[in-house]
Amino acid sequence: MYLEGLTDARSLADAVIATLVQYEIPATPDNYALWYEYHAGHNPDLRRTIDVIVSNGGGFSEGTLHDLYISFFSSVKEEQAVRETSLRVQETLRDVIGIANRARADADQFGATLGGIALADFDNNVNALRELTEHLVREAQAMAGRSRYVGARIRESSDKIEALERNLASALRDATKDGLTGLSNRKSFDTAIRKLAGEAMNSGEDLALLIIDIDHFKAVNDTWGHQVGDAVLCQVATTLEQAVRGEDHAARYGGEEFAILLPRTNATAALAVGENLRHAISRATPQPNLTPLMNPITISVGASCYEPGDPLTEWVGRSDAALYRAKREGRNRVQFA
Amino acid sequence: MSSKRCLIIDDSPTIRKVVRRILQDLPFEVEEAENGEIGLARCDLRMPNVILLDWNMPVMNGIEFLRSLRSRAGGDSPAVIFCTTESDVEHIREAIEGGANEYIIKPFDAEMLRSKLSPMITM
Repeated sequence: MYLEGLTDARSLADAVIATLVQYEIPATPDNYALWYEYHAGHNPDLRRTIDVIVSNGGGFSEGTLHDLYISFFSSVKEEQAVRETSLRVQETLRDVIGIANRARADADQFGATLGGIALADFDNNVNALRELTEHLVREAQAMAGRSRYVGARIRESSDKIEALERNLASALRDATKDGLTGLSNRKSFDTAIRKLAGEAMNSGEDLALLIIDIDHFKAVNDTWGHQVGDAVLCQVATTLEQAVRGEDHAARYGGEEFAILLPRTNATAALAVGENLRHAISRATPQPNLTPLMNPITISVGASCYEPGDPLTEWVGRSDAALYRAKREGRNRVQFA
Repeated sequence: MSSKRCLIIDDSPTIRKVVRRILQDLPFEVEEAENGEIGLARCDLRMPNVILLDWNMPVMNGIEFLRSLRSRAGGDSPAVIFCTTESDVEHIREAIEGGANEYIIKPFDAEMLRSKLSPMITM
């Protein structure tokens, strides 16, 4: 059964908001209802399904959240549960409004007391004045205490709302593309690497990962400015995208780093692809808006192959280590680890 | 500690090899089956303690195996861990409702598999 009482409802509401913030989930009514059910714990299958997703390190994309909602809230019985949930949410809101109203009542009472002082006749009545003063001090202290409490609650709420708004904003941005280069973004790469590694683990086929870094990119930015830096990033991105096959997955990995996943590609082939990319970049004609005085753009590449059973982070780490070795050995080269 | 019996039902030789390697350090005696039908035959001979179960397999898939296992005598005793690339809500829910104890989405690594198996070592 639902937990009864406003305190329980409020702590549940707090838990729901904390979860939405933690997993960067937009605070829509559906998502709220879903996580309210999860924390209230009266739907064991929903709870276990969500726990499976969490324990497998999968995030909560819009699609996953939608599927959870459809799967668990579509029957009549569950619609009832949603209605009850929203009733609890309304109660929580009424409770908060109650706190705010009590604060207003305090202020009114304080005003009345002040009014009493203004009207009182204190001629030769020191005791009455003292009594009123003491009363005034008590009232002021009580009000200040409650105001602080209300203030803290409101600040806390507005912090949470801000965090939820940030989530919503990031969810609304194109979820898979890098804004500058139009390549897949890091989030999309993280999804692709799991999918492709899962398939490679099943099929036993090779899967390679290249991590690519533009050489001396900081110097480009510092010397020619960020606009030129951005143009270089776009040009490299375009060259990489044109050079890979349709089944490959090229992404902007962060800053001036790119990553490419190559299905059915062994160590030898991965090195060859890396070399091809390196040549393609150094051959790429500078765009008209890039200054002719600029040094040619080159890249360093780190490559490695997936070993089924290894953590993905370890695999990415091996490509990173190879990239580091390529940099250390003079840049504009490909290394395998 | 006496060793537990673990049955891997997966049509992928790579998965079976990786799981065997990961289970080497754990007190498990490992058996293999390449589809649900062969898995059921093994269970009929002797119920394992733990079953690692793929979803998509020829002849008999994982969920058919699970339903068939749970409906037969003694079939409620093995802990069943799905190991599959299927990561959507409907598959997870179907597995849970079908009687799966755990669910691992491929690719998995040694630490992930061990963390799901360790509660079953002390069963």
